[in-house]
Amino acid sequence: MTPFRAMRRGYESRMDPVERAVLARVARDVAAMVRDETGLPAAAPEPDPNDVPTPHTGSTTRVWNKGLLAPDEITDGDLAKLTGISSVGPTPQDPAVRRLLPDASKDDDAVAGEFRRLTQNDLAREKAERLEAFADLLEPPASEDDPEPEKAPWQTLGRHGAPPPVRVSRESADAVAGALTDMRLVIAQRLGLESDDDVNALTDQVMWDQQMGREIPVAADGRAARRFWSGVFVAAGFALETLMEVMIADLRGRPRPPESRSEDN
Amino acid sequence: MPLSAPAATVSAGTATQQETEQDAAREPADPWVTIVWNDPVNLMSYVTYVFESYFGYPQAKAHTLMMRVHNDGKAVVSSGGRERMEVDVQAMHGFGLWATLQESGGAQGAA
Repeated sequence: MTPFRAMRRGYESRMDPVERAVLARVARDVAAMVRDETGLPAAAPEPDPNDVPTPHTGSTTRVWNKGLLAPDEITDGDLAKLTGISSVGPTPQDPAVRRLLPDASKDDDAVAGEFRRLTQNDLAREKAERLEAFADLLEPPASEDDPEPEKAPWQTLGRHGAPPPVRVSRESADAVAGALTDMRLVIAQRLGLESDDDVNALTDQVMWDQQMGREIPVAADGRAARRFWSGVFVAAGFALETLMEVMIADLRGRPRPPESRSEDN
Repeated sequence: MPLSAPAATVSAGTATQQETEQDAAREPADPWVTIVWNDPVNLMSYVTYVFESYFGYPQAKAHTLMMRVHNDGKAVVSSGGRERMEVDVQAMHGFGLWATLQESGGAQGAA
């Protein structure tokens, strides 16, 4: 993986196919965890052309043309679309997902509960969707009119014989940084990283292994799994760190927006 | 927070430092505050970026707040009405930072 660099059309890094595949897999797994723990529906599957829309998924116009539907025909999703209010999913029990959607108060359950009720669905959806978008960026879904369906687009060679880089548009950079952060938070929880020293020691170990030319082993036993996840943690950290460097440079190079809150403090 | 190269390149002058210390103090009229807590995972550069890009804080103030989170374990990053603070906490959670809101009377992290 090369450091992200600022280019005209976005931030670019070259990653090899294994790096892409591993990061994409982890991003999808974390997204699925978030959806599962918060009661969000699984990521939208490919639309099936044989699917006939059922009456209750019709537009609201159709609902009104037909008159009021009986309550038992209205799904929660319909209700959410109409009112903008959806039922709140369960509070996540998995500590890693709990870290992504933490309590908004340490000592006031009422404040934390109210906050969760107001924000959890939106936050969970935002996190899941940006993880899935990041995975798609790393491994674009094959399009139907792809002349080489057996080859994913990112595997085809660019003009200079190298695979095209991972390009993060400036508009989506915050979302990619957030996705990488959430992946790191989940892996850190799984690895039991609780202090700066834990993280620094793990990073040193991975860098040392890399310098010694040791390959990340296949995750067959506990120790190998730990080394694998440590490697993913450090790789995601490298991607985020180098992405931050170019994003911060861009941010500081931009004129400050007038609505900046720096003035009224 | 683990150390990171970009954060280490930030320099804050003494005068600016003093000014930002005062900036970060909560307004007495603001009843609620948003607190960001330290964690071992988030990069110093990322936390600084969030404070600059989301709150629109100048570089030196964002850096000071980030260092306060890192060294003291937490920092008050904004203050205002409860609803406004809920918006800020939601944004921080969106970025992956752990934030809480509380009534400012009990804010120990305030400068």
